[in-house]
Amino acid sequence: MNGVDATSIESLHAIMLGVVAMTVVAPLAAAGVVASGGFAKSPRTPAAAALLVALFAAALLSWLWHAADGVPYEFGERLGGGSLVHVDGITAVLLPTVALIGLVIMLAAPKRFLDPAATVRLLLGSAATFAMFATAHPLALVALWVVTALPTWLSTRGTPGGRPAARAFAIAMIVATVCMACGTLLMLADPPWERGCGLVGNAGGWLVALAVLVRKGIVPFHSWYPALFAGAPLSTALAATMPHVAAYTAVRLLMGHADHGAGVGAELVVLSQLALVTTAYGGALAVVQRDLRGLIGTLAMSQSAMVLAGLAGKIPMELNGALCIWISSGLALTGIGLVAWALESRAGPLPLTTPQGRFQDAPAIAAFFMIFGLATIGLPGTLSFVADDLLVSGSLDEQLHAGLLVIASTALSGIAVMRGWFLIFGGPVAVDGPRHMILPRERVALTALLVPLFVFGLWPAPLVRSLERAAEQLLGVTADGEPVASPGGAPAEATIAPL
Amino acid sequence: MNAFAAPDAIHQAGVAHTAVSLLVAMQLAVPAGTLAAIGLPALLGRPLRERTTTRLVGGGFTAAFLAGLAVLAVLATRGFAMETVHLGTWFSVGHHAATIDLVADGLSVPYVCFSTGLCALVNAFAGKYLHREPGFTRFFVLLALFGTGMNLMVLAGSIDVLFAGWEFIGISSALLIGFFHERTSAVRAALRAFTTYRICDIGLLVAGVVVHRAVGSGDFERLFAGTWPHATCLVPPATATAVALLLVFASLGKGAQVPFSNWLPKAMEGPTPSSAIFYGALSIHAGAYVLLRCEPLLDAAPLARVALVVIGVGTALHAALVGRVQTDLKGMLAYASMTQSGIIFAEIGLGLRVVALVHIVSHAILRSLQILRSPSALHDRHELEAALGGPPGAGGWALERLLPAAARRTLYRIALERGFEEMAVMRGVVGPAVRLLERLAEAERSFAAWLGEKRSWRPWRRS
Repeated sequence: MNGVDATSIESLHAIMLGVVAMTVVAPLAAAGVVASGGFAKSPRTPAAAALLVALFAAALLSWLWHAADGVPYEFGERLGGGSLVHVDGITAVLLPTVALIGLVIMLAAPKRFLDPAATVRLLLGSAATFAMFATAHPLALVALWVVTALPTWLSTRGTPGGRPAARAFAIAMIVATVCMACGTLLMLADPPWERGCGLVGNAGGWLVALAVLVRKGIVPFHSWYPALFAGAPLSTALAATMPHVAAYTAVRLLMGHADHGAGVGAELVVLSQLALVTTAYGGALAVVQRDLRGLIGTLAMSQSAMVLAGLAGKIPMELNGALCIWISSGLALTGIGLVAWALESRAGPLPLTTPQGRFQDAPAIAAFFMIFGLATIGLPGTLSFVADDLLVSGSLDEQLHAGLLVIASTALSGIAVMRGWFLIFGGPVAVDGPRHMILPRERVALTALLVPLFVFGLWPAPLVRSLERAAEQLLGVTADGEPVASPGGAPAEATIAPL
Repeated sequence: MNAFAAPDAIHQAGVAHTAVSLLVAMQLAVPAGTLAAIGLPALLGRPLRERTTTRLVGGGFTAAFLAGLAVLAVLATRGFAMETVHLGTWFSVGHHAATIDLVADGLSVPYVCFSTGLCALVNAFAGKYLHREPGFTRFFVLLALFGTGMNLMVLAGSIDVLFAGWEFIGISSALLIGFFHERTSAVRAALRAFTTYRICDIGLLVAGVVVHRAVGSGDFERLFAGTWPHATCLVPPATATAVALLLVFASLGKGAQVPFSNWLPKAMEGPTPSSAIFYGALSIHAGAYVLLRCEPLLDAAPLARVALVVIGVGTALHAALVGRVQTDLKGMLAYASMTQSGIIFAEIGLGLRVVALVHIVSHAILRSLQILRSPSALHDRHELEAALGGPPGAGGWALERLLPAAARRTLYRIALERGFEEMAVMRGVVGPAVRLLERLAEAERSFAAWLGEKRSWRPWRRS
């Protein structure tokens, strides 16, 4: 307990509920204001303010969790081990990241894409995502799984030329949602975490795993992922993919029901192996893309698959690596996606078949593209380098091939990023007109993403300690292999029992 | 008397260690601080003035050089015994601790003095050479990044730290080759160099994985012990062979060895100061330095040594042949660098470590001078002719004149085709791999298009 008494923890938990509510309600309130016609000419203002409030609330929630000595907080109806409001390590460390991603997307989105309807959709999607990261209730997860997908579909469908991408997305999401709903119901009927679980419970687990595979864009269910990046506004594609809601669902529903209580199930192991293949395959595809959006899509598919690759870790270090990649890839890929969008909004679609000569036109954008690109692929000094190190070091004891696939992916993605940079910014100067200077709000948004990437990359110890705590709670074992002590001091099973 | 002498000796050793630690930390911190000092204002849209930039970068390298000399003096008083400097634990999880350990010994400290001194000189040259060039700040940011990476690599006490420095060198090198980004040829050359580096980097990364798996950490002190160049290997021969072969593979890219050499002549597209420091002096010898650092592993791995000799001699012959038909000065110098680099690899393979180190330093100094003077070569020639009152007589003796005319013609054709190396690599490896990936990407696009096709959910209506 480290000196934090039960009364203090209770009072901290009471504050947590209000903070969680603030995180979700702020974007909903802003969506209401914009939908009712307020700020029609500048919907970005209330939206950014609300998301800033949500970011502060998420950061406060993280601080409260640390202050409460990492004791999880549960509130509301409890079903199968998951409460309606559930704040533990994973919520505390990931919710601020997700909130930051939502805020910078809102800040950096080009004006002409940000009409009131698009703003409302982005805000509703953000609120649903924040709510998802604060719950472990299985039926709430299913409901939010649907709610988070709807704004993406609507936004993609409403984009000129976006209907094919919307259809591909809809097909994938319908399949994923049906699998998710059926799997969750089967798991509730025959809980797989209880000894003697039958065929029904196992089938439920595998259906949920299938849903996660589809929603996460893992090979062989990945085709919708680059298609979404090609057809949707990049804000929509980034908001839909970077929080990794599918990985969150996998953590909540699949982690912890291995044969012997805490640990990982066979479903997660299969997810992890397919994710490793995806990360290398996506990197290879990124090398030969013909346009900028294709590059961003395949790169995102490759790098974000690493999150799932580490979730099957049996030791906190490997899971720690996955959580670290969750944060680093989310921030870095959002950054490179926003940079690409800023460039595209100025120069139109950019092919990668010949050098486009855009450096002269947008030197600051070129610098940000390079920095985010390098941060995506594990540049030393950035958080992704720490994440790769943790993931590879954690997986070495048991899976040499995992380390090798991650290395192959890193090498290929590196080539893809540099090829993209040189082909977009290199070559004879494309325009004679004035430079397209980066806007102040774009610079602020991109710098806000860079700061945590470099601060935690150069000084990762505090973040790694927090992630370690979260990983230990999820796995129910300490980094030394000892059972995690419960708040009362006695060894406990997995602190977060699934369902 | 002796009873008092022992604590004094311990105290002095402690003071010396503290001094070395501070100075070595300074060698890293100063170039890194310079990088931040000129990079951040540029990123925020407020680049520093030219003079401030060159003074900051030059001051940083000079400070690091002087710190290196001071460390060298301290080490000399202690017989060049290895000093391990523990800068701290970066992060730790369970039993895994990422420590930042640096090594000051008879190899790393002279080398870091040499590299920072050369960087300071090139900085002074480039300040004038690139005056009013649009990418002035960019050049110096990349030079500071390179200097930081070089010092990190040279002083690394573990394979993890070494890799970090290695990455900075590769990235800065590629970006400087493409410095004149408006030239398509520069862009393509940069991309080719980076791709070659990245493929060979896989060797270093996998070597890191193998080392971690074998000894549980990336620290060099778990791989070998003793004072350079007489350290002994601590791991079994099989592990040593695997790691040594991977390191050899990793070093082929930056060292421009066959079959990864064709990027080097094209890399001369970059500005002259960066060509001098990268492809005449430091970057091209980064691989050789890594091999010298890990030489006890090579001792325990005869296979890797044979590979080094074969590759080194092959590269030297190839580059000497092709270099003879080059029609531009920078191309000729690139092949001359490649020839010497090949010989250095062969020397390392033969176990001639001190010879290799001396060869690296002397070649680097000569070649960087030649490259820095290359833009004035025509002017120099005219001055010479004016002084002599006519063209200087063509002289010299060439080995190939001993060959029959038919053999000379054949060799000439081979040399014109750059030994068919590029053709073989492109047609045999790169081409098929790219074609395969393009087909896969096309199949992906077709499937996604099919998935997004408009469908009637009531097929009977269609009829």
